[in-house]
Order: sequence, then C-alpha cells, then structure tokens
Amino acid sequence: MFRNLIGPRAVIRPTLTLPTVVAPSAIARWSKRGYASEAEEKDLVIIGGGVAGYVAAIKAGQEGLKVACIEKRGTLGGTCLNVGCIPSKALLNNSHLYHQILHDTKNRGIDVGDVKLNLGQMMKAKDTAVSGLTKGIEFLFKKNNVEYIKGTGAFTGEHEIKVNLSEGGEQTVTAKNIIIATGSEATPFPGLEIDEKRIITSTGAIALDKVPESMVVIGGGIIGLEMGSVWSRLGAKVTVVEFLGQIGGPGMDAEISKAAQKTLKKQGIEFKLNTKVLGGDTSGEKIKLDVEAAKGGKQETLDADVVLVAIGRRPYTAGLGLENIGLETDDKGRLVIDSEYRTKIPHIRVIGDCTFGPMLAHKAEEEGVAAIEYIKKGYGHVNYGAIPSVMYTHPEVAWVGQNEQEVKASGVKYKVGTFPFSANSRAKTNLDSEGLVKIIADAETDRILGVHIIGPSAGELIAEGTLAIEYGASSEDIGRTSHAHPTLSEAFKEAAMATYGKAIHF
Amino acid sequence: MASFVTACRLSARLTSRQLRQDAAARGFRTSAACLAAQNFTMPALSPTMTEGNIANWKLKEGDSFSAGDVLLEIETDKASMDVEAQDDGILAKITVGDGAKGIKVGARIGVLAEAGDDISSLEIPAEESSPAPKEEASKPKPEKASESKSEAVPKTSSADLSPAKSSKPAEKQTRPLLPSVSHLIHEQGLEQADVDKMTPTGPNNRLLKGDVLAYLGSISSSYPTELSTKIQKLSHLDLSNIKLAPPPAAPKPAQESAPTSPPVVEELEVAVPISMSSVVEVQQRIQKTLGIFLPLSTFIARATDVANDDLPQSKTHKPSADELFNQVLGLDKVSSLGVRGTFLPQIMAFPQAAPATKPRKPAAKSVDIIDILSGTAKPSKLASKPAPGMSTSVNVFSVTVPKGDKKRAQIFLDRVKTVLEGEPGRLVL
Repeated sequence: MFRNLIGPRAVIRPTLTLPTVVAPSAIARWSKRGYASEAEEKDLVIIGGGVAGYVAAIKAGQEGLKVACIEKRGTLGGTCLNVGCIPSKALLNNSHLYHQILHDTKNRGIDVGDVKLNLGQMMKAKDTAVSGLTKGIEFLFKKNNVEYIKGTGAFTGEHEIKVNLSEGGEQTVTAKNIIIATGSEATPFPGLEIDEKRIITSTGAIALDKVPESMVVIGGGIIGLEMGSVWSRLGAKVTVVEFLGQIGGPGMDAEISKAAQKTLKKQGIEFKLNTKVLGGDTSGEKIKLDVEAAKGGKQETLDADVVLVAIGRRPYTAGLGLENIGLETDDKGRLVIDSEYRTKIPHIRVIGDCTFGPMLAHKAEEEGVAAIEYIKKGYGHVNYGAIPSVMYTHPEVAWVGQNEQEVKASGVKYKVGTFPFSANSRAKTNLDSEGLVKIIADAETDRILGVHIIGPSAGELIAEGTLAIEYGASSEDIGRTSHAHPTLSEAFKEAAMATYGKAIHF
Repeated sequence: MASFVTACRLSARLTSRQLRQDAAARGFRTSAACLAAQNFTMPALSPTMTEGNIANWKLKEGDSFSAGDVLLEIETDKASMDVEAQDDGILAKITVGDGAKGIKVGARIGVLAEAGDDISSLEIPAEESSPAPKEEASKPKPEKASESKSEAVPKTSSADLSPAKSSKPAEKQTRPLLPSVSHLIHEQGLEQADVDKMTPTGPNNRLLKGDVLAYLGSISSSYPTELSTKIQKLSHLDLSNIKLAPPPAAPKPAQESAPTSPPVVEELEVAVPISMSSVVEVQQRIQKTLGIFLPLSTFIARATDVANDDLPQSKTHKPSADELFNQVLGLDKVSSLGVRGTFLPQIMAFPQAAPATKPRKPAAKSVDIIDILSGTAKPSKLASKPAPGMSTSVNVFSVTVPKGDKKRAQIFLDRVKTVLEGEPGRLVL
C-alpha cells in the first residue's frame, strides 16, 4: 500500500531541504512562560470554569464581550464534568449494564457465558468520556473568543484580580464586570477525615480501584443513592444511613421516595432511615461507624471497608480574597446577591453553587446565560419554579415543580393523576416496567403544579413536565397532545388524562 | 449537564466553519427575525445621538420599498439626514408622524413588513421596551450599592410579584390557544369576542384553561390570579431573611499553590541501517543517461518527505481544538487519516564503511578491529555507535523521539528504508 504513495506525490515536493539535525530549541519554551503583566481592561472576567462559569463565558463571547475565564483545575467543566455528573453517569450506565447482564438476560432469551468485571477498563471508559467533554469546552472557548487563564484568581481590588498561574508566574486581570462562579465542595462529616480512599466523597467514589466488600453511605440524597447503586451493582454490600425519614432529599415526593426505596432495597441496598451517625473509628482494618436512631434510642455499630460521605455540598469561596473587597456570605457560606445576581458591588455578580438556589448544573447553566443577559441587555430569565431534578438510579427518579407535601402545605386544593409503567406498552416490551408518572394539578384551574416520575428514562421524560410548567399548561393540555406509540411518553400523557379525567389504559 | 454536546452537535460543526463569521457579525436571530412585521425604531445616526426629530416620511403607509430607498428624513441638532432602507419591504405603519420632535433613539417610529406581506392581515408587534436598561446595566450603580441588602431585596421581589396583569385584563391572544382552551371555547360555543374579554393569567399573558373557567363562572373569577401569584413567587430565588455570616475571626490561610513542574519527557533513539547501494546505482545510471548528477541528499530528502506522509498520530501530540471537537463527536474514528510527520533522520555511516567518504572525524583512539572481535579491548562506543557522516553503502538512519512514539518512528524509518533500498528511481523520475 505504501508503494502506491510514492510515485507522483514524491515528485510534487522537490523543494525539501537536506535533512539536518535540529536541536529542540529552549527558546520556544521560554516564550510560553507567563510573568506578571498588566493587560488591558476586559469587559468581563469570570472566576471559575465550571458549568456556571464556562456557559457564561461562552455566552459572553457570543454577545461580543471581551471575556476571560479563570480556572485552576487544569480542565474546564468544574465538578460536574470532572468529578460529578458526567463520570458518575458513565459508571451508573456501565454498572447497570453489568448488573443487567448478570441478572437479567436469561428471561430475555440471551444466554451469557462467563461475565467478569474489569473495573480498570470501566474507569478508563469513564475517563475517556470526561476528557473528551472537557476538551470540547476548550474548543468552544476558542470558537467563541474566550480567553482561558489557567490559575487561581483572587480579588485585589473591585475591578482587579490577581491570578496565580498554574504554570508559574502571576497575571493581573482587570475588568469592567466580574462574575464569581467558584462552585461548591462536598461538606465533610465532622469527626471523619476524608482521605478519598476509605473515607470518601463523591470524588473518591468515582475512582475506587477495587470494589469494596462493604460500603456505608452517610446521606441518602441523590449523590449517595447514585454512588451507592454503582458499587452495590458491582458487588459491594451497601448500607445507606439517612437522618431524615425519607430518601432522595426533601425535594422528592414522599410517595415516589417510598417507591424508590422499595426498588433499591430489592436491588440489595440496605436503608437505615431516621438514623444519625455519631462518629467513626478508622484505626482498624474495617471502619467502625457508631449510629443511633435520630430521636434517641438504640445505638449500634456498622462495619465498612469504605464510608461515603454524601451529606451535601457547601459553597466554595476559599482563597478568593472576598475580604479584600468586603463581599459578604450568609451563614451557610453562600455569597449574598440580589435578584439580578449582583453583590453589593454591582459590577460583581455571583452565579451557580456558590450562591443561593439548588446546587444543580442546569440551574447554574441558566444563571450563566441570564447573568450575561443582565450585563448586556438589562434583563435575564431563570424560572426557579421550573428546574427539574433527576436521580439516575435504576429506575430513574425525576421531578419538577412542587411535590405533594409542598402543595398540601401551601393550602392549594389539588388533584393527582398517576399512571403506572406496568400499563405502558413500551415499558412492558422492554421488560422494564417498574414505576409510575404522577401529576399534581390545581383542583380548580387544572394548572400543573408538579410532575413526579419514577421509572425507566424518567430523566428524559421530565423535560415535557418542565416545559408544561414553564408555559403554565393544564393537565388537559398534555392529555390533548399526541404522544407517539409505543413510547414511554404515553405514560406521561395517560397520567395527565388521569388528572383531569380518566386514563384510557388503566 | 453534557447538554453542550447536544447544543453544538453536528449543526455547529457543519455550519460553523463557513457561517461563524457572518453569524457573529450579523447577529443571527431565530425568533425576532421570523416575525413578519418588525418595529422600526429611531436610528442612531451618530454615536452621540440620543434623540432626533422626524422631518418627513418619504413614503406613505402601505408603500413598498427596496433596499437603498430613502424612508424618511431625520433632523438632529447637528444636521438632517436621510434614512435608507437596509432591505426590501413594506412600510406597514407610521406610528410617529412628520414633524415629531425629540424622539429617543430606539423608540418605535414605524412598523416594517417584509416584501409581499399582506398589510391588511398583518399583526402589528407590540412596542419593544426601550433600550435604556442596557446602558443602565453596563454602568455601575453606586446609589443601589449603598442601599442595604435587606431593603433592596423585598423591593425587587415585590415589584416583580405584584401582578400587573390583574389590573389590565383582556389582552388579545396572539399565540395559538392551548389545546384545553380551544377545546373549552368550542365546547361552550364561545366567540372570539369572548376570548378577548378573558383575563389571561399565564406566563407572558398566556390564556390558560383556568382563565376560561373563570370567565365561564365555573370557578371564582379571582382564583386564577391568586394561583398565578403563588406560582410566580416560586419562580424567583428566595432571597429574604438572609443571615449574614459573622466576619471571619482570623484571616484565612493562604490557599496552597501547587504549580508542579511538567513531567520530563523521556526521549529515545530509534535507528535503522539502510543500504545506499541501490541509490548510488540509480544515481550513476541517471548521470550516464541524462548527464545530470543528483546528490544523495536529494534522494534522502525526498524519501524523508514521502515517509513523513500519513504517519500515525504522535502520542505526545496535543490535539488542536478542531481535532478535539471531532473526538468529542466521535468523528476522528470515522476518518482517522494519518498525519504528516516532521521527522528528520540523523544519518551516520556504518563504522566499517565510514572512512570511505568522511574522514572528518577520525576515531580518537586507534582501535583494532581484532581487539573488538576478540573482546580484549574495552567495548568502545564506536562498536555500537556508528561514526557521523554518510557512506555510499550502509548508513544508520536514526531519529530521536519521546518515549511513546517509538512505533511511529519505526514506521517512518522502515518507509525510508523501503524507498531508498527498493525503488529509489521513483523518487526522482
């Protein structure tokens, strides 16, 4: 094959010079080094290249602002892309496949031989997804003329940020507008020192080098249940300890939460609700965790190889030099803002996890766009009443709007329509029919107040509910809209029909 | 969150290359530009102009015009100027007539429709908000900054929440009606006039099912508004009752700076012995038949050129933005063409043949070949390392590469070998 290449092409380039020995010049490397330098003022500097920061940066570039984004991690995308949503979803998907091949192929007519787990390769697949996506953002930065400064930024003045560059040296950036988007970090558990090997946060939970025999998850929220699911599917014995009386966090509808707990229990995860962790002892071969019923009562000790601390996240603003410009945080460390994301210094805005609102990547994304629109156009839009939440266990759990407890508490009269996936044709054919769609609508006007789904692809189905709430739709509006057959989305339509009338297939 | 992948999938890739510049320059809009009729606002004829007077319109309502036609004459404090049409269209409506004075830049003065539109059925768009907040927002607002947060917050939220809608009922619905609404209207035999009388309480004054029910009297007429207010409240961040953290007792410890030096890339040399005999043969043949002397360097340069073509990607290669994006989309696997290498081989004569052409660097110590063979002499470097220079028989071609790239270098050198030993004639003929 190679010979074919020689003929005509070789003659085309006769101008090449004699091969010579070229020593790699050190000069090229010198010129790359950064030194303290004063650049001209930018329209906007964003501290943090996570989901809030990078989206804002790209949007600003598209709006024609002269923008720079400071990120110290070395890769863009923040917690979400590097150690959060994305890698965990890679593991969730692949561990689910593994689990399904192990337990759920025979009745589908597929006989599988020897199934083995190659954890190293599974981690590698995860890393490939992550690096591809983070580099993709770098591309988008270039495409939209965003300057990417690798380093740690700290305020030295109201318009001035000193960047400690990752590759050495310092740079001072000045800007008319500044956006703080420094994100959040896992809240540590007092008395348990995180080493990311035995006492881990979500960051360690996506990078264990072997499947632990037993794992205790402190906190039965979304992160705890997702990572608990991964390791339970791969063979660990997982126990979830939750202080509250329900899993999935306070936002999840109680009925859905109970259903999720039942399903996950069937999958082998053990739950200890209304239980608080008193402390732990890591000196032995196994970690010993003392727990006690939350309302006082019997105490017991749990043994675990690995303890996952998933009790929530807290804003991360350390080293930002907030004290240099007198910016305030509240008692939970959130930077104080007004409804247009401005701090008390109006040209400094804050978006994402380091300020108020749910700590969700898509909320941060919305804020990134809205903040730029406020700067550029004077008005931005984020509807905090229509931000979906998804838990990527199997089955998935997703919701948007208010849950039944909240609606009840608000005193609004409501009606509920549900439809089980076991009556949905597509879910039946997929042999994956656990779960239901639940729609809560105002009793008088039929306006949808909340949508809650547990079931296959709930995370995808919730988009329709979000759109409905954003547009103020009634359940009848959905019930009168055609949904393709046979699809899971028909369950959504039927639940809507059940809300204002009757479902056809149930 | 990986939504940016979806956002920029193929469409971005395929169109961006060509359209990126135009799109950025002209500001692609998908929504506003789709409207048939567009507001025509007072243009800024100079950067400093803030308001102007309309001297007179050159067209009447309903007149069509083409790009470049003068639409109207505007007077400013400095001069009067003609305003030309940017595109073909129809002057659907004049909202500010001849002789009007002190019209702010950005205020609507007329409505333009696209060429061919039917003016009689055209919907006149609502006046857009003046661009004033834009200027305001870009300027720092010191007066606002001095306000305490606790004051500022309720103010903004109360302003947002008080539903102005309830006070101005019955806005004409321009959007398609929701399925539930249109169903009820037909079911109840309502007229368009009835619809216009209903009070819309949905987002952006959308008429909801509850509004029709309220109009029909089946539910309390004030209820939809109450519910909307409740829902509206949820659409904002709750910034009330913020408890400020106490000022830090001690300055926080400086964050650790961890600028680690980049890892040193190990290099290694790959060498292949290549005989030049067939090259020399071709060289002589050419000289005999054509009378042209081609130096050996020409052959080697061209062989290098050919062998550098279509090499596998270097392991140490830092991919460009475009390549990265192709990787993200998985397109690199589809068309994984090789890349051009930049290898330049170092050439040294094989020791036995070295003195023939290059006596430039004679061996420092005279080493007897017998000693080497019998193993009595120190294993001098000379034995394993060829002398620099080039011989007409066997030469060692070598390249130095980072550790991961051994295979790539090997491919390159094997190709050089194949070309030079196999058919060197094709390099020059």
